[in-house]
Amino acid sequence: MSVAKEGFEPLIVAFCCNWCSYAGADLAGTGRMPYPANVRIVRVPCSSRVNPSFVIRAFQRGADGVIVAGCHPGDCHYHSGNFFTRRRLSVLRRLLEYMGIEPERFQVRWISGSEGAKFAQVMTDLTADIRALGPNRKLRDAL
Amino acid sequence: MKKIDKSKLEDLWGRLAAEQDLFLPVQQDSVVNFALWQEGSRVNLEAVNSLLPPKDLLFPQSEKIFSYKRREGELSFEEAPGSGPQVIFGIRPCDVRSIELLDPVFFKEPADTFYKNRREQTTLVSIGCLEPDTTCFCTAFGIQPLDAEGADVMLYDMGTAYLVSPRTEKGEKLAEEMGELLEEAAGAEEEGLQQQQEAAASAQEHGLDLDGVFEKLNDMFDHCIWEKFYRRCLACGTCTYLCPTCHCFDIQDDGSPEEGQRFRCWDSCMYEDYTHMGHGHNPRPGRRERVRNRFMHKLNYFPKDHDGVYHCVGCGRCVQKCPVNLDIMQVIEEIGKEGVGGEGHDR
Amino acid sequence: MNLTEKMRQEAAQILESKEADLVIGWGGGEYYWQSPPLFLEDAAGAAELAFSPFIVNNLAKYLLEELESHEKAALFVKGCDTRGINRLLQDHRIQREAVLLIGVPCAGLADREKLKAAGYDAGLLQVERQGDSFILTLEGEEGAREVPAGEFLLDKCLECRYPNPLVYDRLLGEEVQKPRERDPMARVREVQKKPVDEKYAYWQEKLSRCIRCYACRNVCPACNCRECIFDQNAPRWVGKANQLSEKQNYNIIRSFHIAGRCIDCGECQRACPMDIPLMEINRKIIQDLTELYGEYEAGIDPTDVPPLGTYRAEDPAGFSER
Repeated sequence: MSVAKEGFEPLIVAFCCNWCSYAGADLAGTGRMPYPANVRIVRVPCSSRVNPSFVIRAFQRGADGVIVAGCHPGDCHYHSGNFFTRRRLSVLRRLLEYMGIEPERFQVRWISGSEGAKFAQVMTDLTADIRALGPNRKLRDAL
Repeated sequence: MKKIDKSKLEDLWGRLAAEQDLFLPVQQDSVVNFALWQEGSRVNLEAVNSLLPPKDLLFPQSEKIFSYKRREGELSFEEAPGSGPQVIFGIRPCDVRSIELLDPVFFKEPADTFYKNRREQTTLVSIGCLEPDTTCFCTAFGIQPLDAEGADVMLYDMGTAYLVSPRTEKGEKLAEEMGELLEEAAGAEEEGLQQQQEAAASAQEHGLDLDGVFEKLNDMFDHCIWEKFYRRCLACGTCTYLCPTCHCFDIQDDGSPEEGQRFRCWDSCMYEDYTHMGHGHNPRPGRRERVRNRFMHKLNYFPKDHDGVYHCVGCGRCVQKCPVNLDIMQVIEEIGKEGVGGEGHDR
Repeated sequence: MNLTEKMRQEAAQILESKEADLVIGWGGGEYYWQSPPLFLEDAAGAAELAFSPFIVNNLAKYLLEELESHEKAALFVKGCDTRGINRLLQDHRIQREAVLLIGVPCAGLADREKLKAAGYDAGLLQVERQGDSFILTLEGEEGAREVPAGEFLLDKCLECRYPNPLVYDRLLGEEVQKPRERDPMARVREVQKKPVDEKYAYWQEKLSRCIRCYACRNVCPACNCRECIFDQNAPRWVGKANQLSEKQNYNIIRSFHIAGRCIDCGECQRACPMDIPLMEINRKIIQDLTELYGEYEAGIDPTDVPPLGTYRAEDPAGFSER
């Protein structure tokens, strides 16, 4: 279900928790660590704020890949939010795969505020993976 | 009369599909629905009836009205493209009547141009029903199971062949397209048709009498009868979406300030938001009011505006598929039992 | 005394003694396969109750609205229904004291589609359970015919694990023994085996049939939110357009919302007019939850916490954490 890959620049939506991963992105920026401009960040208060609807909506509206990034388990600013995220999105990821979405297109990562380099690396790798997969047409709105 | 051998149907469909969009009942899993014919489609002309009525071929579940774009401050609009000619092949007489009931709704000035364009370019090829399903009650509404008045071409199932009877100009034109695939029918076959018609008209066992139901309902808005029926209702939209005559729609926008579309889509009076007003009030706050509205519309409001013609064709789809057996036949019977102005009024 | 008579007697007694001010049961219909939910406030109405192998509706969900205007409701419950009761108790949507549960052991219900496919629909007047058989009362000379019940059971009943009510105040009749005849996860494993694009095509075919009537949601005892996101207008979470992506969105999110709370009753699939195999989605989630977080069956114990409502620090992740 992939289409022509030539000259394809993937669109990646990254839901980043305010306290860790968004700070990690900030650190990557201030540290001049480059990562692909394909990534569009949506800041959320906590990774557990990410309703599965957001993920599907992103695919509907043209995302080729979606990543949710939050604090490392145990480090949640709200004590336990990301523990719930971990359970919830584990199930969602399997469900999406079951519905026929390539699992590579939906990722979850733990990135702390001090991991600017990791943020840049994760986004670079993800962009390369999605670029290799090609554009996503699944779950897409036909406008 | 002409006839077409059933072995020639594939040829016929190929020929018709070359000239226009051809829709006919196609099987998918356990479900038979009208779908665009392609070579290899699993056509099922025996099913009485398709699960969904073919109304979405005239009134799609959602259809674009226009799209818009804003580029460098310039706003541009694009109207939805028009539709081309289509044939609905194998539509049953109840569904043909349902289209005749939709016509006055959508043709009423100002006419609905989307519906009108499609309707004017649609040719209806109807197949008469030899064996009704147990939930069929079209005869209660004066429909002949073997004869659809509003069809452009009527087909009669004679076993190995269909007798072909063009009824309208569109029908004649379609018969011409069928060309040499049509043969002359024998006299005996035409006689057989007569017998079939008589048998089909008496095959349904519903025993429903619509006499006086419309008039009685004039007086039954506050009747306790609705208490009896609404409580089991789950407030899903199955009955209305499967109904060949339900025609309510909503208009919605989708997109961003830069780009998007306005479309209309089916709506259902069974849904809470159907009558939910902008300021928060809902004049039909509960299932009681919504269930009542559905039956009142079918059996009273519509006939009131259309010379007493009921807005139901007895196809039985809602009877079959309602998950809680809220059965319109039973509703009609119960209304029939009530005396005018008797007990139960003013709940 | 047969079950119909027992049901009537029980209902009449409850209403006369004012033990409850509402009884919810099943009535009869014009057709042998109809068994509409019936609401009684008056003992005189009890004669309308009818037991048949078609008492498929779970009456638990009606409690949500009916208990707004009644003190206490008595209702008849099968094994699967009681998991719905536990669901509502666990979600704090009903109080146990406000319901009087009359358990009805159930050896499996009949499937009209299967009867129809075997040529039994027209002229069939009544279906009754007798041991391992269904007794079909037919129009005309033959009168009655006995057929093996197992061939005409609803698929979901073949997969049933709880034929007897899990919670009840009174029990009508004897508990039944009914082995599970089919592995409910078999279909899930089959679908799971397909390559990813085939899975997508499979679900595309099934879900494109969805007409968004919401029968699956409305019949579901786990879908008991006061306001459903699918009904919200601002923001509108799922668009109303009849396109595949919205149907996928609706169906994925619906099943996800009941993740860990689905009681496996199969009512969504039964209510679906378009024959979409919804349980294949719900059960995929049940399977994954079990794999990831241990065996869990929803609606068994109303005091426990569903797997997505809790966590353990040492939980495995269903994704790479690198």
